[in-house]
Amino acid sequence: MLIKIPLSWLREHVAVTAGATEVAHALHMAGTEVDRVERAGDGWEQIWVGRVTALAPHPNADKLTLATVEYGGGRVKTVVTGAPNLAVGAIVPYAEIGARLRDGHGDGTTWITLEPRKIRGVLSEGMVCSARELGLGDDHDGILVLDPDAPVGAHLADVIGETVLHLELQPNRPDCLGVRGVAREVSALFRLPLRPPSLEPLAFGTLDPATLAVRIEDAEGCPRFTAAYLEDVRVGPSPLWMQERLVAAGMRAIDVVVDVTNYVMLELGQPLHAYDATKLRGRTLVARRARAGETLRTLDDVERVLDPSILVIADLERPLGLAGILGGEDSEIGPRTTTVALEAAAFDPRGIGRTAAALGLQGSAGSAAARRFAWALSPALPPVALARAVRLLREHAGARLVGALDVHPGPIAPRPVTLRFDDVERVLGAAVSNEEIADALGRLGCTVAADGERLTVTAPPIRTDIAIAEDVVEEVARIVGYDRIPTRIPSGTLPLRVAHPVEEFREGVRDALVACGLQEIVSPSLLDPAWLGLLTADGSAIAPAPLLVQNPTSADRSAARTTLRASLLDVARRNLRHREGVALFELAPVYLPRRGDLPEERSTCAVLLAGAAEPVAAGETWRGGGRPFDLGDLGGVLDGLGRLLRVSGRGEPASAPGLHPGRSRAFVRDGRTVLAYGQLDPRVAARWDLPEHTYLAELDLELVRGEASAPVATVPPRFPAAYRDLAVIVDEKVPYGDLEREIRAAMKSGLERIALLDLYRGPQAGEGKKSFAVRLTFRAADATLDDADLDRAMGRIVGRLRHALGADIR
Amino acid sequence: MSTPGLSAMREQALGEVSAAPTVSDLEAARVRWLGRSGVLTAALRSVATLPLEERRPFGATANALKDELEAALVEKKRALEGVSLEGRFAAEREDLTLPPRRLRLGRLHPISQTIREVSRIFATMGFETVEGPEVEWDYYNFEALNIPKGHPARDKFNTLWIANPLGDDPERPVLLRTHTSPMQIRVMEARRPPIRVCVPGRCYRFEATDATHESVFFMYEGLAIDEHLSMADLKGVLYSFARQLFGGERKVKFRPDYFPFTEPSAEIAFDCFVCDGTGRTSAGSCRTCGGSGWIEAAGCGMVHPEVLRRVGYDPEHHQGFAFGGGIERLAMLLTGTPDIRLFGQNDLRFLESF
Repeated sequence: MLIKIPLSWLREHVAVTAGATEVAHALHMAGTEVDRVERAGDGWEQIWVGRVTALAPHPNADKLTLATVEYGGGRVKTVVTGAPNLAVGAIVPYAEIGARLRDGHGDGTTWITLEPRKIRGVLSEGMVCSARELGLGDDHDGILVLDPDAPVGAHLADVIGETVLHLELQPNRPDCLGVRGVAREVSALFRLPLRPPSLEPLAFGTLDPATLAVRIEDAEGCPRFTAAYLEDVRVGPSPLWMQERLVAAGMRAIDVVVDVTNYVMLELGQPLHAYDATKLRGRTLVARRARAGETLRTLDDVERVLDPSILVIADLERPLGLAGILGGEDSEIGPRTTTVALEAAAFDPRGIGRTAAALGLQGSAGSAAARRFAWALSPALPPVALARAVRLLREHAGARLVGALDVHPGPIAPRPVTLRFDDVERVLGAAVSNEEIADALGRLGCTVAADGERLTVTAPPIRTDIAIAEDVVEEVARIVGYDRIPTRIPSGTLPLRVAHPVEEFREGVRDALVACGLQEIVSPSLLDPAWLGLLTADGSAIAPAPLLVQNPTSADRSAARTTLRASLLDVARRNLRHREGVALFELAPVYLPRRGDLPEERSTCAVLLAGAAEPVAAGETWRGGGRPFDLGDLGGVLDGLGRLLRVSGRGEPASAPGLHPGRSRAFVRDGRTVLAYGQLDPRVAARWDLPEHTYLAELDLELVRGEASAPVATVPPRFPAAYRDLAVIVDEKVPYGDLEREIRAAMKSGLERIALLDLYRGPQAGEGKKSFAVRLTFRAADATLDDADLDRAMGRIVGRLRHALGADIR
Repeated sequence: MSTPGLSAMREQALGEVSAAPTVSDLEAARVRWLGRSGVLTAALRSVATLPLEERRPFGATANALKDELEAALVEKKRALEGVSLEGRFAAEREDLTLPPRRLRLGRLHPISQTIREVSRIFATMGFETVEGPEVEWDYYNFEALNIPKGHPARDKFNTLWIANPLGDDPERPVLLRTHTSPMQIRVMEARRPPIRVCVPGRCYRFEATDATHESVFFMYEGLAIDEHLSMADLKGVLYSFARQLFGGERKVKFRPDYFPFTEPSAEIAFDCFVCDGTGRTSAGSCRTCGGSGWIEAAGCGMVHPEVLRRVGYDPEHHQGFAFGGGIERLAMLLTGTPDIRLFGQNDLRFLESF
């Protein structure tokens, strides 16, 4: 959680003289992450403390005013302003021409440099500034009115400039949620005493139950409830210094009661809630589970229907608020409130976390109180926070304390942690002396009792995170510094490595496809489910319905892909806007849903070739460059993959949806597609703005891997080869593959290679026929073949082709 | 014929050889003098017809002339050929600064390259690379890692939850893993110590994307469990990793951090490559490191005793460390890539730079 700690506020609790950078570094290296150090006065060189000496109506605009501002040394300027809250004598920030300010109408991050400007015909010589324009908060409703005692003519930075530490806290350190918690860290790190806060003494139990009673019905959800009853409260603005601190810490000033509860929360980390006591029916506050069907209109103006999983604070008749999360409208403090019931309670953090999550109020969406209560705040905090708030309300709102209550049914005794001194070295691997260990823990406020080699550590009540020996070791390490930990390469027995054939094969495919000249892509595995309907001409699916993300960041990342095809088409489309051709592949799992189980994450490979086959620069026609990819290129990639990895990807023939029906093939095995490849259906290509010459292949790597064999050395032959050419005329419908298959079937050995020389269609072949000219390479491993051998072989081949394919041999 | 006749023949023959303008002229001269019916050949053949006392001196002179002529022919031929090769090379001159034929080059995506490099380095320290599911049970992603429901640390891991078209079981929520840490549990459940594994893989967060954040990204995880492993071993492994990956040129920072599944926990960070650790660039606060000067590279710590107990290990007997970091962060540091989104966009102009 990001919190802002104004340095002046921190220094009130611990008299650290080190500068902001040094304090920030010490905190950061001891585990309190410093996101940044913001100096609010940075860039305020031309902004001054000014006094409004005269106000006059703008001659040309009803809503604008001419304010004359004096800012020391006799300097007087007149500015045009629309602010409604100016009065003669008001002390305000005045920015000269040339000053840099935040754009009050922007998002708070854009800066403007002030220039002389005529507004409705009157020249404005500079500007009086709102809090937002100074970067001090969101308030842009009016000019920031300064303390009346602020010295006119001084640099604004010297008067209200504040250095603010932006800390990113982790949930194990709820004690640091307030300025005082961070001060406790600083006191430990710099060996400085912590100054006691100014608290009102509260005599708990002195309150007449007829005035205010508190009842806990769910002691697990609400282990402690303290309350104070205050009268004569004057609801008005809080003092300026308090408003400035609230703004510096990132909150808005509202009225003195709300401001005090927020101030105490920011200071001590404990959220409080104030009720208009006259609205409490039965003068009782009850911490209980909501009843089914009860409703509550919360401060965010939402009517909520509650259920028994939700802890509420109620009076005797109805819920008043979601405990620890959000108050209700009915009992809200208003301008006429004079009697206040103030609550400071402890809640079960898991309960708060679950309820906040269920209501969509968790994390940054939730209230500042809910975020804090979801962490394990110390149950020791509520009475301290209550005493602090009562003191401030007495001082600044005229409040009179009638009495206070502390209901704490089952106080938890401190749980000391026992460990051995050498546990520190066991865990850290660093030698830290017993004295250093005791000193480090003592600085953190722990009570340490040593007994020989053992020590018993009792953490201060504010530290709810120290429960086991490792926690204590971490505290010691934080204080002595992680730099003390040496670096060492682990020794010991090395575990035997387990083989990972699937992953190793996949990496082989990755290398093989790179060797084939293809570029690997890694695209997001979440995509727009609508894409899956764009992969066939009729929109039918090529893969099962995908897993959907219930809470996607956007629609285009809302489904777990069941095919890589859409991702490749998209990447190709975007790249073809600035190049002539692409040759891509991706290796990734696809997520195939299974009933009652995690999905199958099937390792898949997809290849795409589109556009110009030669990788020339756009427009470069030197040395060719015009040829588009064709089926042969795709076949070449698959052939290359097959030769490099000794696989073929075969199975039962099947159709390949989404591909050109006459220019694609697929093979299935046990109902799974092993390989599908061919030209993309031109209608699909058009839909994706892809060229007609787009070719795709998809492989199921697990099935393809099943065919792979280990490499066997081929020794270059010792005997010469012999060649015979053959012209084979077959019916048009006979594919070349059948010819090769039959030739090989005829020759169990001795046939080394079949090379296709030519494919001829025409009068010489005859109507409906085609002629393949092939060259056969024969070789025996142990002899030179003679003409008789070759004649016998050719006889067998020719006979087989005539018989099996009805071929005519020439 | 007489010796003086030979001397005239010599003068004429050598003259013709030396004057031959081309190899073919030279060949014609050779045939005229030394061919089967050449002049000198005929002269040599005529020796038999000479008177006995003339035969010897004539024969000797004629043979000497033949040798001399043959040598002259060879020399002239070599000279003529040299001249013609020179001419040929001159004629065949090419402009080597013309654009070459462009080969289609295959390349690995920088994410794959980085994962391989990370796995290789950890393998040198005995870590075996294993992989695990991206779609995961809530149990492995959170519960078993000491992050029960309602735990505030869940806010850090903004989770994408899965709806199965074949039906959901509300008792067993399914999510897209927010880190590779679920594999700590899966590996420990399947094996006994000693364990040293490295787990690269894709992870997911519900996250607004910016220059350093993506909702779909890659992480690497490490886990080592043995009897005597300590924070010093963890620090040693990560420092060694950093040195091997960055060549010792990056500054390294090791500081306390918090993760529910490690105790003590730490963070390792490298100085920012954009602003050189200063936190500022000419355009103001450095956007890559957020002005801190450091880029967080991995979270780590000693495996929490509660996590060990949950997989049935005895924390009194076994302890170890775990670490996890972003692959893209490393790739950005290694290649000077200023924006994480470039990796997922797959613009070939970007990918072809690796």
